[in-house]
Amino acid sequence: MVIQKEFGHLWELLSQIPDPEIPVINLVELGVIRKIEEKPDQDKVVITITPTYTGCPAKKLFNDLILEKLYENGYKNVELVSQLHPVWTTDWLTEETKAKLLKEGISPPTAENKIIQCPHCKSTDTRMISAFGSTPCQALYSCNKCLEPFNYFKCH
Amino acid sequence: MAITIDKEQAQFLVRLADTEMILGQRLCEMCSNGPFLEEDIALSNIALDLIGRAEQLYILISEIEGKGLSADDYAYRRNEREYFSIKLVEQPNTDFAWVIARQYLHDVYVKEIFTQLLSSKIDKVAGLSEKVLKEITYSHVHARDWMFRLGIGTPESNRRLQAAVDHLFKYAGELFAFDSIDKKFLSDITKLEQGWKSAVALTLAEANVKQPEIHKIYMRDYREGFHSEYLGHILSEMQFLPRAYPDAKW
Ligand SMILES: [Zn+2]
Repeated sequence: MVIQKEFGHLWELLSQIPDPEIPVINLVELGVIRKIEEKPDQDKVVITITPTYTGCPAKKLFNDLILEKLYENGYKNVELVSQLHPVWTTDWLTEETKAKLLKEGISPPTAENKIIQCPHCKSTDTRMISAFGSTPCQALYSCNKCLEPFNYFKCH
Repeated sequence: MAITIDKEQAQFLVRLADTEMILGQRLCEMCSNGPFLEEDIALSNIALDLIGRAEQLYILISEIEGKGLSADDYAYRRNEREYFSIKLVEQPNTDFAWVIARQYLHDVYVKEIFTQLLSSKIDKVAGLSEKVLKEITYSHVHARDWMFRLGIGTPESNRRLQAAVDHLFKYAGELFAFDSIDKKFLSDITKLEQGWKSAVALTLAEANVKQPEIHKIYMRDYREGFHSEYLGHILSEMQFLPRAYPDAKW
């Protein structure tokens, strides 16, 4: 995603928060933070968040982590706005973020879930075990070459 | 105190919200009871989607109604007669074939509805519909795959799927007994009914399952708050904690 140039210090702070379920990437990389506005006249910060999945159990935790991080850094008056539309998509994950996932053993999303790479041996000869994995955004896969199981971050 | 829903737009949305909430609760009963680990996780994931979807709908309903109630108030503080879930989703997890057939028949129905709501005049309804349609694809594909696997698997799995479909079809007539509220907020009720019937007929035929007749409703309509005998039990379990400890917080 494109990070706004404005309020860079706030973006920097929020990018220090790891995704609670996939800690190798942070909330900014996950693309859930859509907009940050600082309103000095009201001494207030407004943050727009788009959830990954409507039923994502980490939703509430995202909010708490954001409030906590900002509070620690002197922002006491923070408003969180939840916005469903435009809907969250794995297209918002940058190439760097995808590379990071692969390096950490999670196969990154690919268009239409077609070519799925094993994060262990990098083979694309893989098969799905279950479309539903340990978190709502992942599926279970297995590699036909090295036979290792792995998580795939579903294209969404 | 009874919670009433007064605006027509909200009355329409609460049917969807309650349907998703109750099916989500039914699937939660499968958590740790799935036939094998991956399937257990799949059903729990689908339950999360359903409950998350219900929550978003309750939030919208609250905004439309403007009474300052929360999603929890709508889920936990209404009685059976104040609920508007379709009877299909209240049916029990008799065996895995029931779980799958119920999910499949529901997913096709709800997909058709949200497709029509993409053109809703309320931006938030249209936006949520786009989100739901993305998410429900995984559940729909999952349920349909299992329809085939059970239907053409073994004589026993076929027998069980047929029994589930025979039972669940008793509640299919109600889906299409549209009233003036449905007609107001759905763009094309005929298309909805035809879309469901043709998709379901195709899947049943491929799964080697005989399609039961769709009877006219001989039960009173969920649109007026009438339910099967199961809903009271579902709610008593689901609402126990917030009713026993009002205003309990996490
Ligand atoms: Zn491999």
